[in-house]
Amino acid sequence: MNVNTPSALRIGVVIPALNESVSIGALVTSLRAQAKYPVLVIDDCSDDDTAIMAARAGARVLPLAMRLGAWGATQTGIRYLLREGFDLVVTLDADGQHEPTSLPALLAPVLAGSADVTIGSCTRRGSRLRLAAWMMMKTASGLRLEDLTSGFRVYNRAALVELADWRATLLDYQDVGVLLRLQAAGLRLLDVPVTMRQRRDGASRIFHSWRVVGLYMLYTLVLGLSKRATRRPGRLQAPAIAHVESEP
Amino acid sequence: MISLITAGIGLLVATAILLLIRRDQLHVRHGAGWIIVALMFAGLGFAPSLVDWVARLVGIAYPPALAFVVAIAVLLIKILLMDIERARQEVQLQRLVQRVAMLEADLRQHIAPDDDLSP
Repeated sequence: MNVNTPSALRIGVVIPALNESVSIGALVTSLRAQAKYPVLVIDDCSDDDTAIMAARAGARVLPLAMRLGAWGATQTGIRYLLREGFDLVVTLDADGQHEPTSLPALLAPVLAGSADVTIGSCTRRGSRLRLAAWMMMKTASGLRLEDLTSGFRVYNRAALVELADWRATLLDYQDVGVLLRLQAAGLRLLDVPVTMRQRRDGASRIFHSWRVVGLYMLYTLVLGLSKRATRRPGRLQAPAIAHVESEP
Repeated sequence: MISLITAGIGLLVATAILLLIRRDQLHVRHGAGWIIVALMFAGLGFAPSLVDWVARLVGIAYPPALAFVVAIAVLLIKILLMDIERARQEVQLQRLVQRVAMLEADLRQHIAPDDDLSP
């Protein structure tokens, strides 16, 4: 991996996975081929062989006894790596839509100390429904980030401590609630454009039905309005800094 | 007649709650509040003029409206408190599930170690 990682820093990868036996093995193999970071797969009580496939590919698997959702699973991994003394955590989706090749671009600002959290953003993937949801979420929350729902992120230790707290446990998704919590803690959030592939199973878990999207938007609207920052956020403002070119 | 029915319902609910606590099917912490509400219900049934008196005092022309408003407000507060308690329990349950998963990973690591996460 062509990232100048200070040797003292410990970096781990967290992948929440639910019924991803088709893609998880290839994803873990691809990650391990590129970087020697430990890979943690949180099996969100899958009905298929996700845990077996992940372990075979070389990941350490944390099996949840009850389905907690994507954020609950991600927080489990964050708590685990924090307890193990890790400094940086990369999160990505198990469905193969995030390219491990974008990892260096995502890590670089956090390693350089210019951001506490980086978010791999890909606004081109937005369907009309998703773009409408993003616009509503940005208006309600006051967050000025490009891709609020991306699960491809890097967190530094300060962010990990913030997210491991019990107050973050009630969140359902790794999106607006998480970002607002980080922003309220004064952490610097940074968009990093990345390329994303089509999901292997072709469908988003949220943006596939009007009913689910409606509920999701309602919850996010209430969350965004209730936790909206009252002070100026600690986000990096300048687009020239905020958008690190990483397109291959 | 209606006041007698109200009083009867109040007493019936209070008795049912006492029985549920006695059979360990309801926590005394939750039951105590309901018994107070049920007894107030019964009291209003036996002395309906109390509502008329309070309604006149606060300037409500139709006294039953006061009883309904108070009853709905009490129920709303109770439901909200229940949701707050539910959220607290949900956090506890999720943290517990997460902790079990972490311990299970530790156990697996103990049985078949990999050095991936070692410093």
